[in-house]
Amino acid sequence: MSRHALSVLVENNPGVLARVSVLFARRSFNIDHLVVGPTEDPKVSRMTIVLNVADDQLHKVTNQLDKLIEVIHIEELSDPSAIRDQLWAINDNGPRPVGAMAAAWG
Amino acid sequence: MTAQPTTPAPAQPALPSTTTGAEALVDALLRVGAEHIFGLPGGAVLPLYDTLYQRPELRHILVRHEQGAGHAAQGYAAATGRVGVCLATSGPGATNLVTPLADANMDSVPMVAITGNVPSTALGSDAFQEADIRSITMPVTKHSFLVTDPAMIGPTVASAFRLASSGRPGPVLVDVSKDALVASTKRITDGDLAMPGYRPVTEPGQPEIRDAVSLMLSSRRPVLYVGGGTIRAGAHRELMTLAELTGLPVVTTLMARGAFPDSHPQHLGMPGMHGTVAAVGALQKSDLIISLGARFDDRVTGVRESFAPHAKVIHADIDPAEIGKIRTADVALVGDCRPTIAALAAEFRARVEAGTVPDYAEWVAFCQRVQDRYPLSYDAPPAGQVAPQQVIQRIGQLAGPETVFTSGVGQHQMWAAHYLGFERPRTWINSGGLGTMGFAVPAAMGAKIGRPDTTVWAIDGDGCFQMTNQELATCAVEGIPIKVAIINNGALGMVRQWQTLFYNERYSHTGLRGTPTDPAGRAPVQVPDFVMLARSYGCEALRCDDPADIDKTIEAAMAVDDVPVVVDFRVHQDAMVWPMVASGTSNDDIKYARDLAPQFEEDD
Repeated sequence: MSRHALSVLVENNPGVLARVSVLFARRSFNIDHLVVGPTEDPKVSRMTIVLNVADDQLHKVTNQLDKLIEVIHIEELSDPSAIRDQLWAINDNGPRPVGAMAAAWG
Repeated sequence: MTAQPTTPAPAQPALPSTTTGAEALVDALLRVGAEHIFGLPGGAVLPLYDTLYQRPELRHILVRHEQGAGHAAQGYAAATGRVGVCLATSGPGATNLVTPLADANMDSVPMVAITGNVPSTALGSDAFQEADIRSITMPVTKHSFLVTDPAMIGPTVASAFRLASSGRPGPVLVDVSKDALVASTKRITDGDLAMPGYRPVTEPGQPEIRDAVSLMLSSRRPVLYVGGGTIRAGAHRELMTLAELTGLPVVTTLMARGAFPDSHPQHLGMPGMHGTVAAVGALQKSDLIISLGARFDDRVTGVRESFAPHAKVIHADIDPAEIGKIRTADVALVGDCRPTIAALAAEFRARVEAGTVPDYAEWVAFCQRVQDRYPLSYDAPPAGQVAPQQVIQRIGQLAGPETVFTSGVGQHQMWAAHYLGFERPRTWINSGGLGTMGFAVPAAMGAKIGRPDTTVWAIDGDGCFQMTNQELATCAVEGIPIKVAIINNGALGMVRQWQTLFYNERYSHTGLRGTPTDPAGRAPVQVPDFVMLARSYGCEALRCDDPADIDKTIEAAMAVDDVPVVVDFRVHQDAMVWPMVASGTSNDDIKYARDLAPQFEEDD
C-alpha cells in the first residue's frame, strides 16, 4: 500500500461526485482526502483525490474511473505527501482568499 | 413504374416551431431509428403516453411488469444488434428496471431505459412514487441521465443511444421529470451532448498487432478464447477467417455460443465451470491464450492462480479496463473485435507468406484426442423418465440452426448451452454475467419482436418460469408467438445439484413441489399446473412426461405459429450438469461425471 494523489478533470454536472465516490466504495478503497473545485472552464471541475492503495490496484481503479462518461482526464500527481499536507491546510483553515490558497498550492 | 414528377411536390406544412418535452422525446427516439418500445405507464410518464397515443410509427408493447420490459429490450437488442428501448414510470416502475439494467451492464447489451420522474420542483421531497433512479443505477449502467429541462430531452436521448451502441455497448438510463415532459420547448431536429470524456478506441495499434502475431507464431499451444464481444461486434466472419488460417483450437464462452459453429472441427466447445473437458483442458495446457472479446470471468477461470498457469495472454477488448483486470496481458489490443481480428488475420497471413511457419500440429492433435475421448455425455434417466438433456438436444435438432433460443439461469441454461447446437451468432440469448432467473420468457418476447420471421424458443426452468411468466399475457395480447419449453424438474435444480454434491443431499428449500420431509406430512404437489396456466394466458399448451413422446411434442409445438406455445416437460429430478469444476477448485480438477476425472495424456 502506498499513498497516491489523483487529479481528475470532470464535467461540472450534478451527481458526478457521487459517481466517482461510488466507484471507489465498490472496490472498498477508502478516500483519505478529496477536494472538488472549479477550473477556468465553468463546464469542468477538478477533483483532487488522495488514497492509500497498492500500485497495481491504483491502475485498476483509474481504468474504471476513466470509463465514467463524465471523467475527462486523470493524472497521477507526483508528490502525494506534499499535496496531502496542502489539502490538510485548506481543510483545517476553512475558506481563504484565493491568493492564500494559491500560495498553499505553491 | 411511376412517372417522374414534373412539378415540385407541394411544400410540407411547416412544423410548429415549439413542441412539448414528450413530443421532443418521441421525435428523438424516431430520429435515432427506434421502432419498438417495451413499457408500462404510470403517473409520471402520462404526458409521454399521451404523445405515444398519436404516434403509431413507434410501436409500444405493453408489458405486465417493468422487469419484463427491460429483459424484452435486452432480447430485442441481442437478437438484432440494435438498441433495445424500455419505458417505465417513476419510483417502483423505475426500480423494477434495475435488474435488467444490471444484467445488460454485465453482458454489454445496448439498451436505453426511459423513466419518468416526479416534477422537478418535487424532486428530493419524498414525493409519491419518487425514486432517485439516476443515482440508484449509477453502478449498474454505462451512464445515467436526469433531465429537467425540456430543451435537453432531445440531445440527451440522442446521446444515450450513442453511448449504448458505441464503444463497449451497455445500458443507459434517461430519467425525465414530469414537468419537462409537459413544458413546451423549441423544436430541434438534431444534436447531442458534447461528452468530452467519452472517446472509445475502436482500432488497435499496428505495433501491438505485430507483437501479438509474433507471440502467436512463436507459441506451440495457443487457443482462441472467444467471448461475447465477438458477437456484439459482429466479428464472426473475421473469427472464422482467423481460426481457419491458423488452424488453432477455438473455445466459445457462454456469451459467445454461436460466434463459431459448433459443427466446426476446430471447435472444442464452452470453457469454464461447466465447460467441456476439451475446452477446459486446452486452456489449462495452453502456452498462449488469445482472448477475443472475453473477460476472464471467474466462471471461466476457476481459481485464478491455477488458471492456465503456463499461458501468455493476448487480450483483445474494446474496454481498456478489462485488460489486466483479472489476468495480466502480455499484449493488449484495445479496439473493436471486428477490425482487431481482421488485422490479426491479415498480419498472420503476411508473416506466414513471408516464410514464418508455426508448428501447431502436435497441439491440435492433442486437443482433438481429448475431445474424442471426453465428448459431452449424460447418464440415462431412470426407466420411463425424461432426460432434460435429451429434450433440449431434440429441440435444437428439430428447430434447426436458424432458430433463436433464450434461456433462464441454472441447469437448463447449461444444458441448453451444450446441447442445442449453435451454428450462427445472435441465436443464443441468455443472462451470463448477472445470472438473472426469469430472463427467458421476456427476452424471447423481445427477440421475436425484433426478428418476427424467426422461430424463437425460450428454454426455461420451472423455477425461472415462475418469476416472469406474466409476460405470456403480453405475448398473447400483442400477437408475439414465442415457444416456451419448461424443463420442469420440480426443483431449483442447480442449487439442488450443489446440495447433492456439497451439502450431503440436504435439500434445504429447493423443492418447488414441497419437501419430502414435510413436518406436517403434506404430499408433494405440482403447482401451478403449467398447462392450465398457459391456457389461461391464451397460449397453446402441451405436456410431455414420457421419453417416447419427446419428438412428437416438440413437433406439435412447432406446428403452432399463431399463438404462443408452452410445453411442460416433466423431467427426471436428479439429472446433473456435467462436466463440472467445483467452486473454489482449480480447473485442473474438472470432473466429467460424478467422481470421474479425465486423464490427460501426460498423466497416463
